[in-house]
Amino acid sequence: MHLIRLSLLAAVALLATGCANNSPALGSKNISYGDTKAVETVTNEFGSTDLQMIAESMTRSLAQSGTLQGRPVVQVYDVKNKTSEYIDTREITTSIKTQLMKSGTARFASDNTDMQSQVDQLKLQNQSGLYKKSTVSKTGNMVAAKYRLEGSISSIVKRSSDYKDVFYKFSLQLIDVESGIAEWMDEKEIRKTTER
Amino acid sequence: MRKIFALMALALLAGCATPPPPAPGSAASKVVALGNLKNIEIGPMRVARENGFMTVNVSLNNTSSYNKMMYYRFAWLGKDGFPVAEPETWKSLTLYGSQSSFLPAIAPVPKATDFRLEVKTP
Repeated sequence: MHLIRLSLLAAVALLATGCANNSPALGSKNISYGDTKAVETVTNEFGSTDLQMIAESMTRSLAQSGTLQGRPVVQVYDVKNKTSEYIDTREITTSIKTQLMKSGTARFASDNTDMQSQVDQLKLQNQSGLYKKSTVSKTGNMVAAKYRLEGSISSIVKRSSDYKDVFYKFSLQLIDVESGIAEWMDEKEIRKTTER
Repeated sequence: MRKIFALMALALLAGCATPPPPAPGSAASKVVALGNLKNIEIGPMRVARENGFMTVNVSLNNTSSYNKMMYYRFAWLGKDGFPVAEPETWKSLTLYGSQSSFLPAIAPVPKATDFRLEVKTP
């Protein structure tokens, strides 16, 4: 009887150690994290590599052009999507803004989507009477943009029985708000072809 | 006579076993090939600083008479030899048969003082 108990205990202990997992991963082996910087060619629709290449190329061209002297304030407008597919163009502008900010060449005024939150916060601080006066951000001190940055993306799609060819053209321009003159402009072209 | 031949063969073998590392600062020292590069030759590089940003232009040559594709990206390094920016996205480039071409690049931040070109052929 004693021997049976002992062997049962040993079996339980063995099972427990067998189940112990020393890997920092949990879950199915069919799911894995990939390289976010990899060239993605799953389909020939607008993809992550296109977004990253556009943002990278535009930002570097603008930063290195020498137009943005003295870290001017820039207002970014949404990129107009003239293609036939749905593209979240806000992500293109967000990437461009982030990379320009990191390069230290520009500062950004509240754009049309942030403006409501900015006005709401200023109103709340100044009109609600809830805040200590010395900490309240005063109205009338917001910095206006010297430049506005606006762009568009368009595409030409051609299909035959053997091929599907997509040509994207992304254009971006920096315009001086006071004079209305375009101070800088650049384009990025991408061609993706699928052979059926 | 045999001894001399044996010594010469040994010297030759030793020479083949350890190819000299690329000279520091040379174009070859800036290239990091992931595996052997097939049919793509990387030639001279032009490095400059324009409006505070490092700019690079790399000459490429397709040694094959067929179109060849390669993947590449630049890594931008600071004075201490460590990256000063996020890793770049990989890009693909096609060179036509026997084509020579140039690959231009601009550093993302003024702090970049050196670079590495990572390349891979499929």
